[in-house]
Amino acid sequence: MWAQIINALLGIWLMASPALLRFEGIAADNSHIVGPIIASFAVISWWEATRVVRLYNIPPAAWLLLAPWVLGYESTSALVNDMLVGAVVLGLSFVKGRITEKFGGGWSAIWQSDSPHAQEARRQPRTEME
Amino acid sequence: MSKNEGIPPGWSYNPAAWGQRLPIVGLAMIGFSIATYMALFQLKILDTVWEPFFGNDSRKILTSSVSKILPIPDAALGAIGYLADAVTGAVGGTRRWRTMPWIVIMFGLAVGPLGFISILLVILQPVLFDAWCTLCLCSAAISVIMIGPAMDEFMASMQYMKRVKDANVSLWKAFWGYKEVQGKVI
Repeated sequence: MWAQIINALLGIWLMASPALLRFEGIAADNSHIVGPIIASFAVISWWEATRVVRLYNIPPAAWLLLAPWVLGYESTSALVNDMLVGAVVLGLSFVKGRITEKFGGGWSAIWQSDSPHAQEARRQPRTEME
Repeated sequence: MSKNEGIPPGWSYNPAAWGQRLPIVGLAMIGFSIATYMALFQLKILDTVWEPFFGNDSRKILTSSVSKILPIPDAALGAIGYLADAVTGAVGGTRRWRTMPWIVIMFGLAVGPLGFISILLVILQPVLFDAWCTLCLCSAAISVIMIGPAMDEFMASMQYMKRVKDANVSLWKAFWGYKEVQGKVI
């Protein structure tokens, strides 16, 4: 989870960096757009059941490595900032962290047959419910 | 065990337990208060809006063209969304992932899109208006924080619906929690 806390903080840092590092234009817009996306995906993956959402940060992080060249940043500090943040977020997106709870097979068990939840349900006696 | 505590099969805890749900309902109520306050400003019932960091920015955001796209102010829509989150989070007992999947799925649908719209509005603030609004950011943070904890219950309900389908029981009746289908599938 620590990895996703850092990624959330880096997303917020991206949102603030145009003002703090004093750059404007397309580089600032890019930071203002990508920052909230990275922060949101990172926060959603704080919980074990949605830890998989950390992987959604791979495309925006990879985009940060390309954006300075694709969009032609004029500010060096914006270029260095985006590439550093992109590299760190990309690396930390792969950190799964500890999963201690069980979720009956997780999200894929919603469409896969004979998942852990189905096997466990078969073992339990049928009883009249409330 | 699952009968008494409502733990879904193959799970280590019950995602519909009150300890899991009440914090989300509490967050939704805080979000509702913040959104209601901003809506009162947008409806011109309040003359000023609290803004500790960004000067006149909150006023700029809350009176912007985007906030008036819909027939009602966007903060009022947010307040309705938070209220829907709180109500669908609070309704039902601790086995509701099985006894009333419809409310769990509505809860998931209420939390998800609200979070998505919040993220979109946070992006629009600096990009379109070059301004930030503290309370809007707080509201967005709350709705993003709510997404993760709401989704485990959604997952449990969807797994239940899969077992219903595999058992050839009516998905429709299970979805609405008909008494006659409860107990046929665990």
